[in-house]
Amino acid sequence: MDPLILTGIPVGLAFGFALQRGRFCMNSAFRDIIVLKDYALLRTVGIAILVSMIGFAIMDKTGVISINPVPFFWGALMLGGFIFGIGMVLAGGCASGITYRFGEGMVGAMSAVAGLILVGLMTTMGVFHPFVTLLRGATTITLADGSNLTLANVLGIPYYILALAIAGVALILWAIFAKRGKKGEKEEKEQVSLSERIFKRGWGGTATGIVIGLIGIIAFYASASSGRMYPLAICGGYWSTTNTLISAANFMNWLSWMLVFTIVGSFLAARIAGEFRLRAPAPKTIIQTFFGGCLMGFGAATAAGCNITHILSGVPQLALSSLLAGAFIILGCWTLAYFMFIRPMRGL
Amino acid sequence: MADEVKVDKTLDVRGEICPNPDVRTLTTLEKMEKGQILEVLVDYPLSVERIPKNVENRKHKVLKVEKVSGPEHRILIEAKANK
Repeated sequence: MDPLILTGIPVGLAFGFALQRGRFCMNSAFRDIIVLKDYALLRTVGIAILVSMIGFAIMDKTGVISINPVPFFWGALMLGGFIFGIGMVLAGGCASGITYRFGEGMVGAMSAVAGLILVGLMTTMGVFHPFVTLLRGATTITLADGSNLTLANVLGIPYYILALAIAGVALILWAIFAKRGKKGEKEEKEQVSLSERIFKRGWGGTATGIVIGLIGIIAFYASASSGRMYPLAICGGYWSTTNTLISAANFMNWLSWMLVFTIVGSFLAARIAGEFRLRAPAPKTIIQTFFGGCLMGFGAATAAGCNITHILSGVPQLALSSLLAGAFIILGCWTLAYFMFIRPMRGL
Repeated sequence: MADEVKVDKTLDVRGEICPNPDVRTLTTLEKMEKGQILEVLVDYPLSVERIPKNVENRKHKVLKVEKVSGPEHRILIEAKANK
Protein backbone atom coordinates (compact mmCIF):
# COMPACT_ATOMS: atom_id res chain seq x y z
CA MET A 1 0.00 0.00 0.00
CA ASP A 2 1.28 3.44 -0.90
CA PRO A 3 1.37 5.36 2.40
CA LEU A 4 0.51 8.54 0.48
CA ILE A 5 -3.09 7.36 0.10
CA LEU A 6 -3.38 8.01 3.84
CA THR A 7 -3.17 11.76 3.20
CA GLY A 8 -6.85 11.25 2.41
CA ILE A 9 -7.40 10.99 6.16
CA PRO A 10 -6.57 14.60 7.16
CA VAL A 11 -8.25 15.93 4.01
CA GLY A 12 -11.37 13.93 4.80
CA LEU A 13 -11.40 15.12 8.41
CA ALA A 14 -11.15 18.74 7.29
CA PHE A 15 -13.73 18.27 4.53
CA GLY A 16 -16.24 16.60 6.86
CA PHE A 17 -15.69 19.25 9.48
CA ALA A 18 -16.26 22.06 6.98
CA LEU A 19 -19.31 20.38 5.44
CA GLN A 20 -21.01 20.04 8.82
CA ARG A 21 -20.12 23.51 10.09
CA GLY A 22 -21.00 25.16 6.79
CA ARG A 23 -24.09 22.96 6.13
CA PHE A 24 -22.67 22.54 2.65
CA CYS A 25 -25.29 20.80 0.55
CA MET A 26 -25.95 21.37 -3.12
CA ASN A 27 -29.41 19.84 -2.97
CA SER A 28 -30.37 22.64 -0.60
CA ALA A 29 -28.41 25.15 -2.67
CA PHE A 30 -30.22 24.41 -5.93
CA ARG A 31 -33.60 23.55 -4.48
CA ASP A 32 -33.80 26.57 -2.19
CA ILE A 33 -33.51 28.96 -5.12
CA ILE A 34 -36.90 27.89 -6.37
CA VAL A 35 -38.57 26.52 -3.23
CA LEU A 36 -37.60 29.05 -0.55
CA LYS A 37 -36.15 31.79 -2.78
CA ASP A 38 -33.04 31.52 -0.63
CA TYR A 39 -29.71 32.03 -2.41
CA ALA A 40 -27.34 31.71 0.55
CA LEU A 41 -26.02 28.20 -0.10
CA LEU A 42 -25.83 28.73 -3.86
CA ARG A 43 -23.50 31.64 -3.21
CA THR A 44 -21.38 29.41 -0.98
CA VAL A 45 -21.13 26.78 -3.72
CA GLY A 46 -20.14 29.48 -6.22
CA ILE A 47 -17.35 30.76 -3.97
CA ALA A 48 -16.00 27.25 -3.41
CA ILE A 49 -15.90 26.63 -7.17
CA LEU A 50 -14.10 29.92 -7.84
CA VAL A 51 -11.49 29.39 -5.11
CA SER A 52 -10.77 25.89 -6.41
CA MET A 53 -10.63 27.18 -9.97
CA ILE A 54 -7.89 29.66 -9.11
CA GLY A 55 -5.90 26.99 -7.25
CA PHE A 56 -6.27 24.36 -9.97
CA ALA A 57 -5.21 26.89 -12.62
CA ILE A 58 -2.02 27.80 -10.77
CA MET A 59 -1.18 24.18 -9.93
CA ASP A 60 -1.83 23.04 -13.48
CA LYS A 61 0.32 25.80 -14.92
CA THR A 62 3.19 25.05 -12.53
CA GLY A 63 2.96 21.34 -13.19
CA VAL A 64 1.99 20.33 -9.64
CA ILE A 65 -1.10 18.59 -11.01
CA SER A 66 -2.58 18.24 -14.43
CA ILE A 67 -6.28 18.69 -14.83
CA ASN A 68 -8.09 15.48 -15.59
CA PRO A 69 -11.60 16.08 -16.90
CA VAL A 70 -14.18 13.27 -16.94
CA PRO A 71 -14.76 12.01 -20.52
CA PHE A 72 -17.61 13.66 -22.40
CA PHE A 73 -20.02 10.72 -22.78
CA TRP A 74 -22.98 13.03 -23.11
CA GLY A 75 -25.72 10.41 -23.02
CA ALA A 76 -24.51 8.97 -19.70
CA LEU A 77 -23.84 12.43 -18.25
CA MET A 78 -27.33 13.70 -19.06
CA LEU A 79 -29.19 10.58 -17.94
CA GLY A 80 -27.05 10.03 -14.85
CA GLY A 81 -27.09 13.69 -13.87
CA PHE A 82 -30.86 14.00 -14.18
CA ILE A 83 -31.56 10.84 -12.18
CA PHE A 84 -29.02 11.88 -9.55
CA GLY A 85 -30.77 15.26 -9.27
CA ILE A 86 -34.16 13.62 -8.74
CA GLY A 87 -32.62 11.21 -6.25
CA MET A 88 -31.08 13.89 -4.09
CA VAL A 89 -34.42 15.64 -3.60
CA LEU A 90 -35.94 12.35 -2.38
CA ALA A 91 -32.87 11.64 -0.25
CA GLY A 92 -33.00 15.13 1.27
CA GLY A 93 -29.38 15.84 0.42
CA CYS A 94 -26.67 15.67 -2.21
CA ALA A 95 -23.69 13.34 -1.89
CA SER A 96 -21.91 15.68 0.51
CA GLY A 97 -25.17 16.55 2.31
CA ILE A 98 -26.12 12.98 3.18
CA THR A 99 -22.50 12.24 4.12
CA TYR A 100 -22.17 15.01 6.68
CA ARG A 101 -25.65 14.30 8.07
CA PHE A 102 -24.66 10.64 8.41
CA GLY A 103 -21.93 11.96 10.71
CA GLU A 104 -24.49 14.16 12.48
CA GLY A 105 -26.54 11.06 13.33
CA MET A 106 -29.48 11.59 10.98
CA VAL A 107 -30.97 8.19 10.20
CA GLY A 108 -32.70 9.51 7.09
CA ALA A 109 -29.27 10.31 5.62
CA MET A 110 -27.89 6.90 6.62
CA SER A 111 -30.60 5.07 4.69
CA ALA A 112 -29.87 7.30 1.69
CA VAL A 113 -26.21 6.30 1.90
CA ALA A 114 -27.25 2.62 2.03
CA GLY A 115 -29.23 3.04 -1.19
CA LEU A 116 -26.40 4.94 -2.84
CA ILE A 117 -23.94 2.15 -2.04
CA LEU A 118 -26.25 -0.69 -3.11
CA VAL A 119 -27.39 0.63 -6.48
CA GLY A 120 -24.04 2.34 -7.11
CA LEU A 121 -22.32 -1.06 -6.91
CA MET A 122 -25.04 -2.62 -9.07
CA THR A 123 -24.24 0.04 -11.67
CA THR A 124 -20.43 0.11 -11.45
CA MET A 125 -20.02 -3.67 -11.47
CA GLY A 126 -23.40 -5.40 -11.43
CA VAL A 127 -26.55 -5.77 -13.48
CA PHE A 128 -26.66 -2.21 -14.82
CA HIS A 129 -23.00 -2.16 -15.77
CA PRO A 130 -23.37 -3.42 -19.39
CA PHE A 131 -26.04 -0.81 -20.09
CA VAL A 132 -23.90 2.03 -18.76
CA THR A 133 -20.83 0.82 -20.68
CA LEU A 134 -22.90 0.71 -23.86
CA LEU A 135 -24.39 4.16 -23.29
CA ARG A 136 -20.99 5.71 -22.57
CA GLY A 137 -19.38 4.02 -25.56
CA ALA A 138 -22.11 5.17 -27.92
CA THR A 139 -22.05 8.82 -26.84
CA THR A 140 -18.40 9.66 -26.17
CA ILE A 141 -16.92 12.69 -27.91
CA THR A 142 -13.24 13.59 -27.62
CA LEU A 143 -10.87 15.96 -29.37
CA ALA A 144 -9.10 14.64 -32.46
CA ASP A 145 -6.07 13.74 -30.32
CA GLY A 146 -8.27 11.76 -27.95
CA SER A 147 -8.15 14.20 -25.03
CA ASN A 148 -11.24 14.90 -22.96
CA LEU A 149 -13.18 18.06 -23.70
CA THR A 150 -12.86 21.16 -21.59
CA LEU A 151 -14.14 24.64 -22.26
CA ALA A 152 -10.49 25.63 -22.65
CA ASN A 153 -9.35 23.09 -25.23
CA VAL A 154 -12.58 23.41 -27.22
CA LEU A 155 -12.06 27.17 -27.45
CA GLY A 156 -8.33 26.73 -27.97
CA ILE A 157 -7.35 28.84 -24.96
CA PRO A 158 -4.83 27.59 -22.37
CA TYR A 159 -6.71 26.26 -19.35
CA TYR A 160 -5.01 28.44 -16.75
CA ILE A 161 -5.73 31.65 -18.68
CA LEU A 162 -9.39 30.87 -19.18
CA ALA A 163 -9.82 29.67 -15.58
CA LEU A 164 -8.16 32.74 -14.10
CA ALA A 165 -10.13 35.02 -16.45
CA ILE A 166 -13.45 33.45 -15.43
CA ALA A 167 -12.53 33.63 -11.75
CA GLY A 168 -11.40 37.25 -12.15
CA VAL A 169 -14.59 38.36 -13.88
CA ALA A 170 -16.70 36.55 -11.31
CA LEU A 171 -14.83 38.19 -8.43
CA ILE A 172 -15.27 41.65 -9.94
CA LEU A 173 -19.00 41.07 -10.47
CA TRP A 174 -19.29 39.74 -6.95
CA ALA A 175 -17.52 42.78 -5.51
CA ILE A 176 -19.95 45.06 -7.34
CA PHE A 177 -23.06 43.17 -6.25
CA ALA A 178 -21.83 42.69 -2.69
CA LYS A 179 -21.41 46.45 -2.36
CA ARG A 180 -24.88 47.08 -3.68
CA GLY A 181 -26.46 44.47 -1.43
CA LYS A 182 -24.88 45.93 1.72
CA LYS A 183 -26.51 49.33 1.34
CA GLY A 184 -29.08 49.90 4.04
CA GLU A 185 -28.44 46.50 5.53
CA LYS A 186 -27.64 46.61 9.19
CA GLU A 187 -25.05 44.09 10.27
CA GLU A 188 -25.37 42.81 13.77
CA LYS A 189 -21.91 42.40 15.19
CA GLU A 190 -21.93 40.19 18.19
CA GLN A 191 -18.84 39.74 20.30
CA VAL A 192 -18.07 36.06 19.92
CA SER A 193 -14.69 34.41 20.40
CA LEU A 194 -12.98 32.85 17.41
CA SER A 195 -13.12 29.32 18.82
CA GLU A 196 -16.83 29.74 19.54
CA ARG A 197 -17.32 30.80 15.96
CA ILE A 198 -15.35 27.91 14.52
CA PHE A 199 -16.49 25.09 16.75
CA LYS A 200 -19.91 26.03 18.07
CA ARG A 201 -21.73 28.10 15.50
CA GLY A 202 -22.70 27.47 11.91
CA TRP A 203 -20.16 29.11 9.61
CA GLY A 204 -21.08 32.00 7.35
CA GLY A 205 -21.45 31.33 3.65
CA THR A 206 -18.33 33.16 2.51
CA ALA A 207 -16.06 31.42 5.03
CA THR A 208 -17.53 28.03 4.16
CA GLY A 209 -17.06 28.61 0.43
CA ILE A 210 -13.45 29.70 0.84
CA VAL A 211 -12.56 26.84 3.19
CA ILE A 212 -14.16 24.18 0.99
CA GLY A 213 -12.53 25.67 -2.11
CA LEU A 214 -9.14 25.52 -0.35
CA ILE A 215 -9.74 21.94 0.78
CA GLY A 216 -10.48 21.13 -2.88
CA ILE A 217 -7.07 22.52 -3.85
CA ILE A 218 -5.23 20.60 -1.12
CA ALA A 219 -7.22 17.49 -2.04
CA PHE A 220 -6.10 17.69 -5.66
CA TYR A 221 -2.46 17.99 -4.63
CA ALA A 222 -2.62 15.24 -2.00
CA SER A 223 -4.61 12.88 -4.17
CA ALA A 224 -2.32 13.44 -7.18
CA SER A 225 0.72 12.66 -5.00
CA SER A 226 -0.80 9.25 -4.28
CA GLY A 227 -1.33 8.61 -7.99
CA ARG A 228 -5.03 9.52 -8.19
CA MET A 229 -5.22 12.56 -10.47
CA TYR A 230 -8.52 14.04 -9.29
CA PRO A 231 -9.67 16.35 -6.49
CA LEU A 232 -12.61 15.76 -4.13
CA ALA A 233 -15.28 13.18 -4.82
CA ILE A 234 -17.65 11.16 -2.65
CA CYS A 235 -19.44 8.21 -4.22
CA GLY A 236 -16.41 6.29 -5.47
CA GLY A 237 -15.18 6.29 -1.88
CA TYR A 238 -18.34 4.59 -0.64
CA TRP A 239 -18.10 1.94 -3.34
CA SER A 240 -14.40 1.13 -2.94
CA THR A 241 -14.73 1.00 0.85
CA THR A 242 -17.76 -1.30 0.64
CA ASN A 243 -15.99 -3.47 -1.91
CA THR A 244 -13.09 -3.83 0.49
CA LEU A 245 -15.44 -4.78 3.31
CA ILE A 246 -17.39 -7.41 1.36
CA SER A 247 -14.55 -9.00 -0.61
CA ALA A 248 -11.14 -10.32 0.37
CA ALA A 249 -9.31 -7.81 -1.80
CA ASN A 250 -8.18 -4.34 -0.76
CA PHE A 251 -9.75 -1.60 -2.84
CA MET A 252 -8.88 1.20 -0.45
CA ASN A 253 -7.42 4.19 -2.30
CA TRP A 254 -6.94 7.85 -1.45
CA LEU A 255 -10.64 8.56 -1.98
CA SER A 256 -11.78 5.67 0.24
CA TRP A 257 -9.79 6.99 3.20
CA MET A 258 -10.89 10.51 2.50
CA LEU A 259 -14.56 9.50 2.43
CA VAL A 260 -14.47 7.44 5.61
CA PHE A 261 -12.81 10.29 7.46
CA THR A 262 -15.22 12.83 6.00
CA ILE A 263 -17.91 11.05 7.99
CA VAL A 264 -15.63 11.04 11.05
CA GLY A 265 -14.89 14.76 10.56
CA SER A 266 -18.60 15.59 10.38
CA PHE A 267 -19.25 13.49 13.46
CA LEU A 268 -16.52 15.34 15.39
CA ALA A 269 -17.77 18.73 14.21
CA ALA A 270 -21.34 17.90 15.22
CA ARG A 271 -20.21 16.40 18.52
CA ILE A 272 -18.11 19.43 19.48
CA ALA A 273 -20.93 21.81 18.56
CA GLY A 274 -23.45 19.72 20.49
CA GLU A 275 -25.36 18.93 17.30
CA PHE A 276 -24.84 15.19 17.23
CA ARG A 277 -27.79 12.95 18.03
CA LEU A 278 -29.14 9.78 16.50
CA ARG A 279 -32.50 10.89 15.20
CA ALA A 280 -34.94 9.36 12.78
CA PRO A 281 -37.82 10.70 10.70
CA ALA A 282 -41.07 8.81 10.12
CA PRO A 283 -40.57 5.29 8.62
CA LYS A 284 -42.11 6.49 5.36
CA THR A 285 -39.38 9.13 5.07
CA ILE A 286 -36.63 6.56 5.73
CA ILE A 287 -37.95 4.48 2.81
CA GLN A 288 -38.13 7.63 0.67
CA THR A 289 -34.51 8.60 1.40
CA PHE A 290 -33.36 5.02 0.75
CA PHE A 291 -35.06 5.12 -2.63
CA GLY A 292 -33.57 8.55 -3.29
CA GLY A 293 -30.15 7.16 -2.42
CA CYS A 294 -30.70 4.31 -4.89
CA LEU A 295 -31.39 6.81 -7.68
CA MET A 296 -28.32 8.82 -6.64
CA GLY A 297 -26.21 5.66 -6.78
CA PHE A 298 -27.42 4.82 -10.27
CA GLY A 299 -27.04 8.42 -11.41
CA ALA A 300 -23.54 8.94 -10.03
CA ALA A 301 -22.28 5.60 -11.35
CA THR A 302 -23.75 6.34 -14.79
CA ALA A 303 -22.46 9.92 -15.01
CA ALA A 304 -19.08 8.92 -13.53
CA GLY A 305 -19.59 11.21 -10.59
CA CYS A 306 -21.88 12.90 -8.14
CA ASN A 307 -22.32 16.62 -7.55
CA ILE A 308 -18.92 16.81 -5.82
CA THR A 309 -17.01 15.10 -8.64
CA HIS A 310 -18.76 17.17 -11.27
CA ILE A 311 -19.80 20.49 -9.78
CA LEU A 312 -17.20 21.08 -7.05
CA SER A 313 -14.24 19.36 -8.74
CA GLY A 314 -15.07 19.17 -12.45
CA VAL A 315 -16.51 22.63 -13.10
CA PRO A 316 -13.33 24.37 -11.80
CA GLN A 317 -11.41 22.24 -14.32
CA LEU A 318 -13.83 23.62 -16.92
CA ALA A 319 -14.66 20.06 -17.97
CA LEU A 320 -17.49 20.04 -20.50
CA SER A 321 -18.62 16.70 -19.06
CA SER A 322 -19.00 18.22 -15.60
CA LEU A 323 -20.76 21.33 -16.89
CA LEU A 324 -23.28 19.11 -18.68
CA ALA A 325 -23.71 16.67 -15.78
CA GLY A 326 -24.00 19.61 -13.38
CA ALA A 327 -26.72 21.22 -15.49
CA PHE A 328 -28.69 17.98 -15.54
CA ILE A 329 -28.26 17.44 -11.80
CA ILE A 330 -29.82 20.88 -11.29
CA LEU A 331 -32.56 20.13 -13.81
CA GLY A 332 -33.42 16.86 -12.08
CA CYS A 333 -33.42 18.59 -8.71
CA TRP A 334 -35.75 21.35 -9.91
CA THR A 335 -38.10 18.94 -11.67
CA LEU A 336 -38.85 16.91 -8.57
CA ALA A 337 -38.68 19.89 -6.20
CA TYR A 338 -41.43 21.48 -8.28
CA PHE A 339 -43.78 18.54 -7.75
CA MET A 340 -42.81 17.82 -4.14
CA PHE A 341 -42.60 21.32 -2.70
CA ILE A 342 -43.54 24.15 -5.01
CA ARG A 343 -46.95 22.91 -6.09
CA PRO A 344 -48.04 22.05 -2.53
CA MET A 345 -46.71 25.42 -1.30
CA ARG A 346 -48.35 27.45 -4.02
CA GLY A 347 -49.96 30.62 -2.77
CA LEU A 348 -47.56 31.12 0.12
CA MET B 1 -44.07 24.47 29.81
CA ALA B 2 -44.25 27.81 31.52
CA ASP B 3 -44.25 30.43 28.83
CA GLU B 4 -44.65 34.11 28.29
CA VAL B 5 -47.03 33.36 25.42
CA LYS B 6 -49.76 30.82 24.85
CA VAL B 7 -48.90 28.31 22.14
CA ASP B 8 -51.78 27.63 19.76
CA LYS B 9 -50.18 24.85 17.77
CA THR B 10 -47.09 22.65 17.99
CA LEU B 11 -45.25 21.28 15.00
CA ASP B 12 -42.83 18.45 15.79
CA VAL B 13 -40.41 17.97 12.90
CA ARG B 14 -37.58 16.40 14.87
CA GLY B 15 -35.63 13.86 12.82
CA GLU B 16 -37.13 15.15 9.59
CA ILE B 17 -35.01 15.55 6.48
CA CYS B 18 -34.25 18.60 4.44
CA PRO B 19 -36.35 20.70 3.69
CA ASN B 20 -39.42 19.23 5.42
CA PRO B 21 -39.02 21.27 8.63
CA ASP B 22 -38.95 24.52 6.62
CA VAL B 23 -41.78 23.63 4.24
CA ARG B 24 -44.06 22.31 6.99
CA THR B 25 -43.43 25.36 9.13
CA LEU B 26 -44.36 27.69 6.29
CA THR B 27 -47.46 25.76 5.20
CA THR B 28 -48.65 25.43 8.80
CA LEU B 29 -48.21 29.16 9.43
CA GLU B 30 -50.16 29.94 6.30
CA LYS B 31 -53.16 27.99 7.60
CA MET B 32 -53.14 29.76 10.98
CA GLU B 33 -54.99 32.91 11.98
CA LYS B 34 -53.17 36.20 12.34
CA GLY B 35 -51.64 36.50 15.79
CA GLN B 36 -51.72 32.78 16.64
CA ILE B 37 -48.53 31.25 18.00
CA LEU B 38 -46.79 28.27 16.40
CA GLU B 39 -44.23 26.25 18.30
CA VAL B 40 -41.76 24.36 16.09
CA LEU B 41 -39.61 21.57 17.53
CA VAL B 42 -36.69 20.99 15.16
CA ASP B 43 -33.30 19.29 15.38
CA TYR B 44 -31.96 19.75 11.86
CA PRO B 45 -29.26 22.45 12.15
CA LEU B 46 -29.70 23.95 8.69
CA SER B 47 -33.42 24.46 9.30
CA VAL B 48 -32.78 25.98 12.71
CA GLU B 49 -30.78 28.67 10.90
CA ARG B 50 -33.02 28.93 7.87
CA ILE B 51 -36.52 28.91 9.37
CA PRO B 52 -36.27 32.27 11.22
CA LYS B 53 -34.99 34.01 8.09
CA ASN B 54 -37.60 32.58 5.73
CA VAL B 55 -40.44 33.02 8.18
CA GLU B 56 -39.65 36.71 8.61
CA ASN B 57 -39.43 37.09 4.82
CA ARG B 58 -43.03 35.91 4.64
CA LYS B 59 -44.32 38.42 7.19
CA HIS B 60 -44.51 36.15 10.20
CA LYS B 61 -42.70 37.11 13.38
CA VAL B 62 -40.10 35.02 15.18
CA LEU B 63 -40.62 35.46 18.91
CA LYS B 64 -37.96 33.11 20.18
CA VAL B 65 -35.35 30.58 19.11
CA GLU B 66 -34.45 28.49 22.08
CA LYS B 67 -31.99 25.63 22.40
CA VAL B 68 -33.59 22.68 24.16
CA SER B 69 -30.76 20.14 24.21
CA GLY B 70 -28.17 18.94 21.69
CA PRO B 71 -29.32 19.82 18.18
CA GLU B 72 -32.92 20.24 19.32
CA HIS B 73 -34.39 23.74 19.19
CA ARG B 74 -37.76 25.27 19.91
CA ILE B 75 -38.87 28.15 17.72
CA LEU B 76 -41.88 30.29 18.59
CA ILE B 77 -43.50 32.15 15.71
CA GLU B 78 -46.42 34.55 15.60
CA ALA B 79 -48.37 33.87 12.43
CA LYS B 80 -48.89 36.70 9.97
CA ALA B 81 -47.83 39.29 12.53
CA ASN B 82 -46.69 41.73 9.85
CA LYS B 83 -49.33 41.05 7.22
